[in-house]
Amino acid sequence: MEIFSDLAMGLSIAITPINMMYLLAGAMVGMIVGVIPGFGPSAGLAILLPVTFGMDPIPAIMMLAAIYYGAMYGGTITSILLNTPGESATVASTFDGFPLAKNGRAGPALVMQAVASFVGGTVGVVLITILAPMFAQVSRSFGPPEYFLLAIMGLLTLIVMIGQHWKLGLISALIGLALGTVGVDLETGQGRYTFGSAELIGGIYFIPIAIGLFGLGELFYAFYQGLHKTGTGGIVEFDKEERFWPTRLDFISTRMTMVRHSILGFVVGVIPGAGATIASLMAYSTERSLSKNKENFGKGEMAGLVAPETANNAASSGAMIPLLTLGIPGSASTAVLLAAFLMWGLRPGPLFMEQNPELAWGLIASMYLGNMALLAISIFAIPLFVQLIKVPYRVLGPTIVVICTLGTFSVNASFIETYIMFGAGIVGFFMRLYGFSPAALVLALVLGPLAEEALRQTLTISRGSFGIFVDRPASLWIIGVTIFLLGFLPLINRFGKTSGAVEKADNAGI
Amino acid sequence: MRTAFLFFVMAASVYYTFIAFTDLSFMTRTGRLGPGFFPRLVGVSMVAFAIWALVDCLREGRDSGEASGTWGDVVKLMALGLGYAVLLRLLGGFPATVIYLGLALLVINPGKYLQNVILTVTVPAAIYLLFDRLLNANMPPALLDLPF
Repeated sequence: MEIFSDLAMGLSIAITPINMMYLLAGAMVGMIVGVIPGFGPSAGLAILLPVTFGMDPIPAIMMLAAIYYGAMYGGTITSILLNTPGESATVASTFDGFPLAKNGRAGPALVMQAVASFVGGTVGVVLITILAPMFAQVSRSFGPPEYFLLAIMGLLTLIVMIGQHWKLGLISALIGLALGTVGVDLETGQGRYTFGSAELIGGIYFIPIAIGLFGLGELFYAFYQGLHKTGTGGIVEFDKEERFWPTRLDFISTRMTMVRHSILGFVVGVIPGAGATIASLMAYSTERSLSKNKENFGKGEMAGLVAPETANNAASSGAMIPLLTLGIPGSASTAVLLAAFLMWGLRPGPLFMEQNPELAWGLIASMYLGNMALLAISIFAIPLFVQLIKVPYRVLGPTIVVICTLGTFSVNASFIETYIMFGAGIVGFFMRLYGFSPAALVLALVLGPLAEEALRQTLTISRGSFGIFVDRPASLWIIGVTIFLLGFLPLINRFGKTSGAVEKADNAGI
Repeated sequence: MRTAFLFFVMAASVYYTFIAFTDLSFMTRTGRLGPGFFPRLVGVSMVAFAIWALVDCLREGRDSGEASGTWGDVVKLMALGLGYAVLLRLLGGFPATVIYLGLALLVINPGKYLQNVILTVTVPAAIYLLFDRLLNANMPPALLDLPF
């Protein structure tokens, strides 16, 4: 019953006109970010984070969260109409989404993806509402050993999912950990890697690195791929289609698909490092195995579109659980969200919901409203997004450079951070080009200081013995889950390879 | 190119590890883990994996995993971006953005003169209004004393 009163309190906060305005703005911007090929939620969040600096924490966090899950809605529009995923989590939506559009069913496909996204997102938020307080309760028994292991689990699962280039993913994570050590050591006060620079005493700030890697790096890579030359010539025009709305059969035949993949997606989303891309690929694979129309998959089967769409939206909700209750981001996007929380002096973790009920429940309640708004936006504003897809990359490119640069500068009014952002952009481009993982770097940069502090505390408690990790039942559980995931997740990758999803996800920026 | 990038990563890793071993102590005077503990752990792992990746790359004998693409426009965009960073310091937010956008669109979007001129004026104006007026955020001040 306490959940309902908390949720009602959250709704009363979220529904104020100013908060609703920011929520709608976030949802709209999220969809726009999702629509731009190569730009996923991480890039959108990193670029737009500085814009929220002048705002109060509650509307700012609500807006950023809306950008995060709004990008999942938007990313599918290009998957269906262009066969180009807006971001990696919508790769699986191209398998049947584009064939549906080519078969003259683009309208029903676009509406069904919006409905599936809404169902996945809403079921995900319902599960957050029920499970987040329970997770917070359990995680209260966690100490430094468990926090260290959780951070390592998040990084390892992300690296395992990189597949063939796992060594480069590991090096990326290590670079992130190394960057996290720059600045004054909080325990001893000794400077590390500051080279006498006053600017580096506080460490390398996360925002310029994230904006550089995800914003500029992705942009340079898109130019390298020639996206600014190809334009959107292959877009499926659906204005003259006979029927825009889905049939009753579309809804009836996919209702169970939505239910099962909402739950599957949410569970995968909760696992640190797994995320929406894995959830959508797993959902597609599972749905194909369960379907009576296996042979239609890949040729324009509605369930083949609905399954990944439901799962990736449920996963993006699921990823909020470790973030809110453990303070551990499971993906690059939630790492940026964590940075936003920290920026406002908020520390997500076991006590977060208890100490900041207004913000925590306001955020959860806003996700219900956000999903409703996104459903309406993604159905009725489709023509607007189609026009946006037609804006050539060669025009968007320089504008994105300007937003990244001025956004970075506005954080601390620092030119050095602007130069760091450009440096990170160039390095990020080469990382994408040669198979490294910018996402692993950013995640490690956020988790690094936390992991180091937890490890040093652990070894102080145990007087230098690593045996503490197997002495505590909670640690043993986390080690067990990590081992299971390290064995299980490569199987998903194997499916990805057979369907060509890995290549598409690589291009979309996994 | 991939090999060269891996060499660069390895060299940076070696330098990071060297500092971790020479400048940062492993233990504090009170017997607790010092500021060099974690960097040494990270540095040694980074060097080991960088060497492993480099050996793999050299053994394969080609720049595997490198997608083919167009370098020209990427280099132009990078150079324009770096020029923009310098201009920001000298001229401040608004004038630097107008100059950068004008040049960038001229190079990357040639032939569309009217579209480029409209964008060169409207985008900086919109961004200035958003950052400076609406959000009250910091905009880069000019180092040079401009007459406008």
